[in-house]
Amino acid sequence: MKKNKTMIFLFILPTVLCLLFMYVYPIVRTVIMSFFKVESLTASTSTWSFYGLQNYFKILRNAGFISSMKNMVMIWLVGGIITMCLSMLMAVILTSGIRGAKFFKAAIYMPNIISAVALATMWIQYVFNYDYGLLNQIVKAFGGENVRWLGTDLIFWAMMIAFIFGSVGYYMLIFISGIEGIPQDLYEAATIDGANILDRFFQITLPLLKGVIRTCVTFWSINATTFFLWTKMFSPINTETATIVPVVYLYDTVFGGKGVVERDAGAGAAVGVVLTLIIIAVYVITNLILKDSDLEY
Amino acid sequence: MGKYHDRINWKKELRLLPGYIIVCAWVALTAAILFWIVCASLSSTKEILTGRVMDFSNGLKWDNYVTAWNTQNVSLYFFNSLVYAIVSCVGVLLISAPGAYVLSRWKFVGGKAIRIGLVIAMSVPTIMIIMPLYSLAVQWGIKGRVLLVVLYIMLRVPYTTVYLLDFFSSLSRSYEEAAYIDGCSHSRTFWQIMLPLVQPAIITVTIFNFMSVWNEFFMALIFTTSDSMTPVGVGLLQIVNAMKYSGQYGAMFAAVIIVFLPTFLLYLFLSEKIIVGATSGGVKG
Repeated sequence: MKKNKTMIFLFILPTVLCLLFMYVYPIVRTVIMSFFKVESLTASTSTWSFYGLQNYFKILRNAGFISSMKNMVMIWLVGGIITMCLSMLMAVILTSGIRGAKFFKAAIYMPNIISAVALATMWIQYVFNYDYGLLNQIVKAFGGENVRWLGTDLIFWAMMIAFIFGSVGYYMLIFISGIEGIPQDLYEAATIDGANILDRFFQITLPLLKGVIRTCVTFWSINATTFFLWTKMFSPINTETATIVPVVYLYDTVFGGKGVVERDAGAGAAVGVVLTLIIIAVYVITNLILKDSDLEY
Repeated sequence: MGKYHDRINWKKELRLLPGYIIVCAWVALTAAILFWIVCASLSSTKEILTGRVMDFSNGLKWDNYVTAWNTQNVSLYFFNSLVYAIVSCVGVLLISAPGAYVLSRWKFVGGKAIRIGLVIAMSVPTIMIIMPLYSLAVQWGIKGRVLLVVLYIMLRVPYTTVYLLDFFSSLSRSYEEAAYIDGCSHSRTFWQIMLPLVQPAIITVTIFNFMSVWNEFFMALIFTTSDSMTPVGVGLLQIVNAMKYSGQYGAMFAAVIIVFLPTFLLYLFLSEKIIVGATSGGVKG
């Protein structure tokens, strides 16, 4: 086909402008801002003063940032392991030939398509409620005393449970599409050779899902580092040490929150850069560990 | 494996029993939560606080919905979200469809860079772009609904373009060649022949864009400066926060249901399309 340069230019221009305006310019500016002392986001660039790595040192010395990083690592690691195991379990069950697999798949994925604010509200105002909540009803039915799920001790884990519940469906779908890509005759051959269900899972399914697991780890890392909404819902007005995460710390630092003495956009930008570097590092490391094997099937 | 399903094989079903129990328990939990929320949205605050939401002897309290819709401004939030979702779904297509088409059809300088840029843009955390966008918005004095509409359009461009690009690539070039021989110009070929051909992809991508904008929270929270531009997510957060003072539990649960319903209904009718779309290309919608 003949090239029509004018048409190509006109058709691609909006996409390019959007990339430049929405992504390239803001990313570059955020990175630059992280090396400058910038108090307010709206301050003109002429008031910025070069600050070297001071913003980075400043956040690394800040107790709020450190606890937010600790919480983030907990969400990434503990939440990640639980979510991946549950999603994998659901995926294996739903591909084992049970009846109504389609319905179960749709029902388990459902929390992903509804407003997370509504979902979080359901958990906070009902499941974890002290007086009439679902969990306390169950506890009472077994003769226990009401538990303060949203008290300082348990709130982090309450938030984690609700978040995991909402996440499992998505990773389950990815695992299912991976499992469905594995040829059935591999399993049949293994069954004839006397492999039981666990053998088949660990010897066939898991090794062949390497690529899929890599995808999941990358997505989960992005989700864990950009974790924001659930903390905002669980501690809506005052950020609490128990639930603070880096993006909430950033939000409070840049846009102001209770307990924030002075706004500091430069430090906020530094937080953003640190989080992005973490995502890139996890991506690179995952790709090194879970290299594509030469295995063909 | 459908062929095994014709006759019930009890031995096989028994072997699968643990699996059944696990998924049933999970789905039962989901259903129990939803059912209770629906009941609570039809109960008075007193009934909720005393744990009697299933007891409808005093009638269904539909006025919870009226309170939420009118007094608590959910109608306005709902309308705002609808505007954001619909306008940005259309806007993003106008930008992405032509872009995806030329990227899939012709090699040109920078084409590869644009493709890579789009894929990277899909995984860039919003926090990396939000601060400069905020200063620009203040500097240029852009306020109100138009600000969020523009941002949402641009936010969805990378995903939409990449999704449509894959689909355009799978179409044979013979359509365009035939049209070209018939003297149809390139751009007319695109609008009248190619675009209708990718309709299934456009529908899927629009469903995801709609849900994503409807559920978006982070940008909405940062850029919302007044009630008149508040979408449902931020609005619901405000209602929940104000409830400590208003004490209207029933209306709050009604608001939860109103916010929850649109995407849920969409899902009821289109779950298969949504589930297939959710993992195609390994892209999160």
